[in-house]
Amino acid sequence: MSIIKVNCINETCPVPLVETRKALRKAAEGDTIEVQGTHSSSKKEIPMAVESMGYELKSIEENDDYWTIKIQK
Amino acid sequence: MENKNIYLDNSAATRLDEKVLEAMKPFLFETYAVASSEFGYSMGIKTREALAQAREWLAKDISADAEELIFTSGATESSNIAIKSSVEKLSKKEKNHIITSQIEDFPVLNSCKKLENQGFRVTYLPVDENGFVDPAQLEKAITDHTILVSIQHANQEIGTVQDIAKIGKICKENDVLFHTDATHTFRRLPIDVNKFNIDLVTLSAHTIHGPKGIGGLYVRKGTPLAKYFDGGFQEFDKRPGLVNIPGAVGFAKAAELVTEEENNKLTNLRDHLINRILDEIPKTTLNGHRKKRVPQNANITFHLVEGESITLHMDMRGFSLSTGSACFSNSLEASHVILGIGGDHERAHGSVRFSLSRYNTKEQVDRTVDEISDVIQKLRDISPLSNGSEQNELQKEKIS
Repeated sequence: MSIIKVNCINETCPVPLVETRKALRKAAEGDTIEVQGTHSSSKKEIPMAVESMGYELKSIEENDDYWTIKIQK
Repeated sequence: MENKNIYLDNSAATRLDEKVLEAMKPFLFETYAVASSEFGYSMGIKTREALAQAREWLAKDISADAEELIFTSGATESSNIAIKSSVEKLSKKEKNHIITSQIEDFPVLNSCKKLENQGFRVTYLPVDENGFVDPAQLEKAITDHTILVSIQHANQEIGTVQDIAKIGKICKENDVLFHTDATHTFRRLPIDVNKFNIDLVTLSAHTIHGPKGIGGLYVRKGTPLAKYFDGGFQEFDKRPGLVNIPGAVGFAKAAELVTEEENNKLTNLRDHLINRILDEIPKTTLNGHRKKRVPQNANITFHLVEGESITLHMDMRGFSLSTGSACFSNSLEASHVILGIGGDHERAHGSVRFSLSRYNTKEQVDRTVDEISDVIQKLRDISPLSNGSEQNELQKEKIS
């Protein structure tokens, strides 16, 4: 089980979701995907998409510069 | 969820019908020789006969003679040949004008643009709010310099069907060639090249459960056509190169398998999908005419959300949809078709094309509507466009 990091800092919609989908497609069962970004709409729509796909949303963290969404496949 | 994919992008590509594959197989594994004359060996004669049979079936369906139909690699090649080769042959100093519409598919539009860059004059006719070309405006645009009119039979994105009989009549009366791209109408709507006065027709197998990489071009007997490629003398000396015989056989079989009953089923599914979406999802607009559209196409703008976001979320839920035509869906540019019918960038970016096929069911359509309804609601909840914006009263009439 590995951790796959996806850097979407300064990318805007729909790129973060496209990159998340790409990472989810390549990940193995049990892998964790960590998406980092700055676009506020993406922070809302990635969890929405993850939920609809039936994957586990582990956390959404935010600091002054970017947010991090952790997903378990 | 991904394994139970519901595919509604059949205007881009369709699933091959097993019966088509069965018809093609002998020409891939047993009778695979190049078509040859009576003086050649038996295997080549057999392939020639199969090719002739396929050609005859397809030609007859549009009321053409077999020798008026040439096989190509698909719609792009057919439209390129139809436009560039006819214009090359007929262009003279005083003959340098082409007429098309603003919402044509890219093979036609870009062929015209290329000719424009080479010094030809091109008129890109506007269309009305449903996507119709005004025949009176077309007639007015024809001059003594006009060589060719290229107006599609139906639109690739919004499905609007043009009155090609009327357009053909105008072209004939004014003695200009008429080409139509029938990629999205062949076997879905009747085409009669004689009744409609058409000189050149683009056809393709990929929209009717046939193989990809095979198409056809109808060329009326006597229509001047320069040779597009240099090579041998195949396809009546109009299109050199090894003929794709399995493809041609598959194309004819695919065409044969499309029935009126299937087209009626698709029309009902299409109307059911449109009615449910317009009834159940607020702030939606149907793009294209309600009835004068191909049986397999519905195109709807979901206001206040991006089409790309919708198709992405739908994909992640197991539904294949597109935001525009196949050529267009790889880019994030606004659809020239939606802009052409008077839509603004917001309407163009929020449009989604649903294109149906033989393999879609009412249950699948219902599941699609249920799911897209949920996606739209959630995307609107988080959309910055939704917050505090004034909403127009949008058209929501039900199809009767």
